Amino acid sequence: MNDAQTFPSSEADLRSLETRLSRTLKRVTPPNGMVERLRSRIQMPTRSEITLRLSDWRRMFFVFGGVISGMLILVTIARAFYYFAARSKTSL
Amino acid sequence: MSEPEYHEDEALARASQGDREAFGQLYERYAERIFNYVYYRTGNLHDAEDLTARVFQRAMNHIRSYTNRGAPFSAWLYRIAHNLVANWHRDRSRKQEIAIDDLPILPAKGDHPERNLVRSQEQDALLRIIRALPPERQNLLILKFVEGMSNAEIGKIMGRSEGAVKSLYHRTLLALRDQLEDQNLSLEGE
Repeated sequence: MNDAQTFPSSEADLRSLETRLSRTLKRVTPPNGMVERLRSRIQMPTRSEITLRLSDWRRMFFVFGGVISGMLILVTIARAFYYFAARSKTSL
Repeated sequence: MSEPEYHEDEALARASQGDREAFGQLYERYAERIFNYVYYRTGNLHDAEDLTARVFQRAMNHIRSYTNRGAPFSAWLYRIAHNLVANWHRDRSRKQEIAIDDLPILPAKGDHPERNLVRSQEQDALLRIIRALPPERQNLLILKFVEGMSNAEIGKIMGRSEGAVKSLYHRTLLALRDQLEDQNLSLEGE
């Protein structure tokens, strides 16, 4: 590169230019809410949505489990009641 | 940093099978970087936001056809961003808009907010000169200074060898120095 030869202080110049570049080209913070705004535009589920879905799913699981357990208890009580009632009938 | 555990390969594999949550993780990781790249390439805040969204939309639509060829996933995103920015510049030149807005001031990471409000005229002039450089030289400077990447990392993204990046970088600095001298902008006083 002839350019470098034409400037005797080129190395110092380039170092100085690099300093200026590092001051000018800095990583910037996107505007407030941009990441979330774009997320909804791209239609991806947000973290909170995923958490919400998970908690809903858990809640559904517990409700379903609760109903089944309740029914099993009722059936067991009914069977026990029927068993004792039948036994007392035969003993008479 | 207390970042949740993140495995890019795993997220990529799931995202390429249509898992949107996995793609969301990739988005979280790269949204800011892509925004920075587009912001410095366009110099326009609203368009930078719009183009960043389009980069990820396009990535999401084509993630199934993504194949890992040894380059980082970010290289693929930067390529999409580069193409969209090129289209953006072409559309703008067709519309014959006269002046490209000066880069709006956004707070730089780790800087005191007040310092950002008074970006010097020198910095503005330098940004204008940078944005008049050929696209690959702009890419190189953004990846080097904004993203803080090494020549090897830049090479992977730009599809060049480390030596070629080093040489391009040197030529870019020389060109910038000449431009600054042409415009009587001193390199002293640092």
